[in-house]
Amino acid sequence: MATPFVTTDNFLAIALVINRSRDGPAFVFHYPPHVQPSSGTSQAPVDFEDILLERLSQPGHQDVDDDGAPSRQARNPEDHYFTESGTQIVPWERVAGFPSRDLAGILTPARSYHKRLFQLSLDPLYCVSYPIHVPENGKWKKPKKTTKSSKRSAYTDDLTASQEQDGSTTGKTAEQQPPKEKDGKKDGKKDEDDEKRSSMTMFNLVFILNPKSNEVKEVVEAVYEHLVKKVSKAFKYSQQHSEFVWKESKRILVAKDKAREERKKMNVLWKEILQSSSLAAAMHDIYEGVSQNRIATLHLETAAGLLTPSVQIPVPFYVDDLPQGEAPAQRGLWITTANTFMSQDALEEPSFLDRNFALLLLDDEKKIISELQADPDPTTASMVEFVRLSKPTMSFYQVGQSNILTVGQVRKYAQHFIFWRRAIAIPPLHARDQYIGSPNADYTQLPQDTLEWQRAFPLAPPLPNFLAELSQCPRPYKHFSPSKAHRPTYLLMLAWLMRRGWVTQLCTFAYVVVWPEILYEVDYEMEAEELRAAADADGARSEDSSGAAPPRTSESSEDHSGTDGSHVPTMTEQAAEKARLERIASKAHREAAEKATAHARKAVPIATAHPSVNDHAHLAGLTPHIILDAKKATGKESRYLSAIARRFTDDKLRTAWQQLSKYFDGQCALERIALQEEMKRKEVWNMLTAMSEHLLCTRHW
Amino acid sequence: MIQGIFYARFFPQEGPKVVAQSPAGCITPVENSNKPPLIDFDVLQEYIIPRQAFCNRYLTINTPDGKYAVLGYPVVIPHTKYLRNEFIFNFGLVLDADEDQMPYERVVRRLASTFSEMEKQNEYLSQNEGRDCGPLGCGIGGGGGGGGGGRRPIDSLLQIVKEDLDNYGECMIPVDEANTINMKLFPHHLQPPVVKGWHVPVPKTKLTEIVDPTWDLTLQKVISHIDGVSDVRRIAHAANVSLDLAKTALRHLLYYDTILLLDMFFFGACYALRPGIHDFIGNVDGMVDECAAYVSHGRGRVSNYHLTKLMSTFVQGRTIMEWLKGHQDSGFEVLRYVDVRRFVQFGIIKGCLYRVHKYVVSKQYLAALASGQSRPTMGGDPLQKYTDGCHHFEQIITEQNLTESEIMEKLKALPVPKGDLTVLYQ
Repeated sequence: MATPFVTTDNFLAIALVINRSRDGPAFVFHYPPHVQPSSGTSQAPVDFEDILLERLSQPGHQDVDDDGAPSRQARNPEDHYFTESGTQIVPWERVAGFPSRDLAGILTPARSYHKRLFQLSLDPLYCVSYPIHVPENGKWKKPKKTTKSSKRSAYTDDLTASQEQDGSTTGKTAEQQPPKEKDGKKDGKKDEDDEKRSSMTMFNLVFILNPKSNEVKEVVEAVYEHLVKKVSKAFKYSQQHSEFVWKESKRILVAKDKAREERKKMNVLWKEILQSSSLAAAMHDIYEGVSQNRIATLHLETAAGLLTPSVQIPVPFYVDDLPQGEAPAQRGLWITTANTFMSQDALEEPSFLDRNFALLLLDDEKKIISELQADPDPTTASMVEFVRLSKPTMSFYQVGQSNILTVGQVRKYAQHFIFWRRAIAIPPLHARDQYIGSPNADYTQLPQDTLEWQRAFPLAPPLPNFLAELSQCPRPYKHFSPSKAHRPTYLLMLAWLMRRGWVTQLCTFAYVVVWPEILYEVDYEMEAEELRAAADADGARSEDSSGAAPPRTSESSEDHSGTDGSHVPTMTEQAAEKARLERIASKAHREAAEKATAHARKAVPIATAHPSVNDHAHLAGLTPHIILDAKKATGKESRYLSAIARRFTDDKLRTAWQQLSKYFDGQCALERIALQEEMKRKEVWNMLTAMSEHLLCTRHW
Repeated sequence: MIQGIFYARFFPQEGPKVVAQSPAGCITPVENSNKPPLIDFDVLQEYIIPRQAFCNRYLTINTPDGKYAVLGYPVVIPHTKYLRNEFIFNFGLVLDADEDQMPYERVVRRLASTFSEMEKQNEYLSQNEGRDCGPLGCGIGGGGGGGGGGRRPIDSLLQIVKEDLDNYGECMIPVDEANTINMKLFPHHLQPPVVKGWHVPVPKTKLTEIVDPTWDLTLQKVISHIDGVSDVRRIAHAANVSLDLAKTALRHLLYYDTILLLDMFFFGACYALRPGIHDFIGNVDGMVDECAAYVSHGRGRVSNYHLTKLMSTFVQGRTIMEWLKGHQDSGFEVLRYVDVRRFVQFGIIKGCLYRVHKYVVSKQYLAALASGQSRPTMGGDPLQKYTDGCHHFEQIITEQNLTESEIMEKLKALPVPKGDLTVLYQ
């Protein structure tokens, strides 16, 4: 269920490739500088199993890889080399084992891939991208600029000379002034000249992946949806508004050409490019951020202003069951069913979420506030207020009641914080609830967390001891706190433990059990009703019967025997009469009569104080029935429920049964009823205790 | 399902062309079919016959509309006898985009290797070409004549490959006197988890019935001792096999999903519920009935309600003993009706229960680990390394050959300050 984490193992590099109207494809930049496909992880076994194939493809591989660079391992990957024939080997002109020129060709797909998934696998690499082509009219900029005439005499120009020339000039301007101010008239004119010579027809930001064979689909999907599309769209925006991608690409290409001449070391060149080009720096930030499973914030210094989009691959913050086998990626995540055990109705009703969840900040409150204030915008003040108000013990609904923020704001900010990994939503913490050591806790973190725990709560018991206490018999959390005065601190400790996935709430889920006594009673009742209805139908004709369908009021057993006693003889008499008069009808009546006698012979249901232990002979053979979802109970089950309701002598309990039975579906944690119904916790628990005989409870996270 | 299969090659004059395809017209239009091709060959030819740098490797590409994936293995055979000194071809498959490509990768690789070998042996591809289509190659609709020597046209060959793989998941097609194409679609299994000494393998199939004398000897020995009760260490010992070999053998069985790994059963152990319990309560797929058949012993079947009640009352901090006692006190003699070990195993297999393990933690040791000090007292006490919270008691039991009480005794003797050791459950 969880997105597989993208790491440096399967995310190898990010590369920018462009295509130009005249000069053709160019491989602009890639990061990290050295891309080594860690072959032999997943693909190798396939190869080796097939000896024939292995043997056949080997020489071919060598042919391809060989082009003039023997023993590539031996030489310094940063340096330039010359082959015997005098060809210069430039370190950045091979990426992941391929010549970058060839890569530029294969990674500039046709227009039919415009704004669509482009997924190319070059064993063992996976290239995933979202190619962006220039609009059909050939202009990136939407409104103004009507240059870019025909590509006339440019053809006759000396190709290399012109390239070098325009290269060095743009290179210089770039060094002299930051791109922000690069909007001068002179530059504009120069750009126009460039456009005449060659313009960018497409760009393609390629993510180079190396997923394990079983995770290809998930990794490609995650990277495509969350990174490729978003970053490519941001680049497209910047290109449309200020030709950002093209300008930066030109500068980088020029720098690379120059460095080729100067035989600059690759690490030096890369450092320079990253410093001078915010486009290259953005690629660096994406790679470094995402491969470390962090949020990457880009800083694109476009001529139209600074753009700072952020991207991430969202991480799940909880699991609902223990992961199968050893899935280290999910270790340490909060384990809960609070998010999965939600009916569709509940999800559609936002107030349900408001009441059942609270915000747990994942970072220090002060740190988050200062982060917010560092980047002020119109919502900053209310967001800061939200951070201050939100407590893990207070539901969103309660925060909304403060009259400072509206519920809408609370919802919006909460989503914002959760998406950007600053907080998670948890059921509000409460000292009366029970918390247990999480079976999904990451115990490799224990040494470090023990230390940090001690720093955060110097007076509390050491972490291992506290966890040991929690891992014994589950008890309400308040019992761990030595006195009432300590409780606020202990709740802070609990929040700390929740944040790091050390604990989880132990919840109670309930189903309704229908005991044999009730089953029998309802069956008996229904049989009696059936007979009565038949009798009434007959009675209506023969004599005015004792009343049409006597209301089933009090259900005491005497009542039953009374009504039955008066009915049965009538029935038999009638049956005898009818039998004499109408032979055809007689049979049916006889059957009815037999039924009635059988019914009359049955033991009369007796309501005992504790149906669960009623072991009367007439109940033998009946096993208790479990109603799986009391709120959807129909027919017989709903009669069971009302039969149970009648057993409660207390009026209040009886109404409470009607009110609460919707929670007895095995999905709603009983601990959260109080929040949902806005009742006192204690009251709810007292009622539930009174009902417990009719409930089957089960407890887990 | 293979949507299309094709043979494309590079012609020195005309560039990349599809020579044979099945079904007809699936890649490039043919004369007597008006169905539009599945893919746009003009766009994709760049990836079907790519630059040399990308040849001789497995290469896949999705179509722009996202409907299909094209799998291929472009091959370059360099030789002076060819025009331009090389022969470039590709046997490719077209699959639905959401199809699992993994089983087909081998097929593509196999086609490439077989045909390149045949081309090298007797110029199977280039000769075929020459005979059927003339020196320039007529491109589309090759094959046809079939030629002498019992050769099949490639068109019909591809058709058979496609049909056999789709229908039977394998094919065995003689191509000429000397060569046969044998291929099979293999399902992909995940790497099985590592087997540990304290795992208890439980067979899912009757292994003793399917084993035969040609099987690996270690595997045979190990299988004869799998009884659903013994842990791996015990099995290795009883089978007189080294522990590592026994683990490897079991991992093999695990790969084919023929065994399950559970934990060791003790009455003093503690089990707690997982959300899967709701399936049990709801008797999903007759789970409770299955359970009844598995655990009832002696005096007839236990009612569904009782089993449900039993299963739903496991909780953290309650050992099996205490759980038994609780039910006994409320009037149900569990042991008389239910095989508790099998009951617990059933709960674990069905995802209703998990084992709450016991750990011992030394704060002193944790502090040393946190500060990055070299692991204290190497070669000192053998138990110390287990006190970091990552090793449960069963690991200590199996690795040190000690009983739980012996471990507790030894831990008391550890030279640590009073109150340093903590026992916790997770």
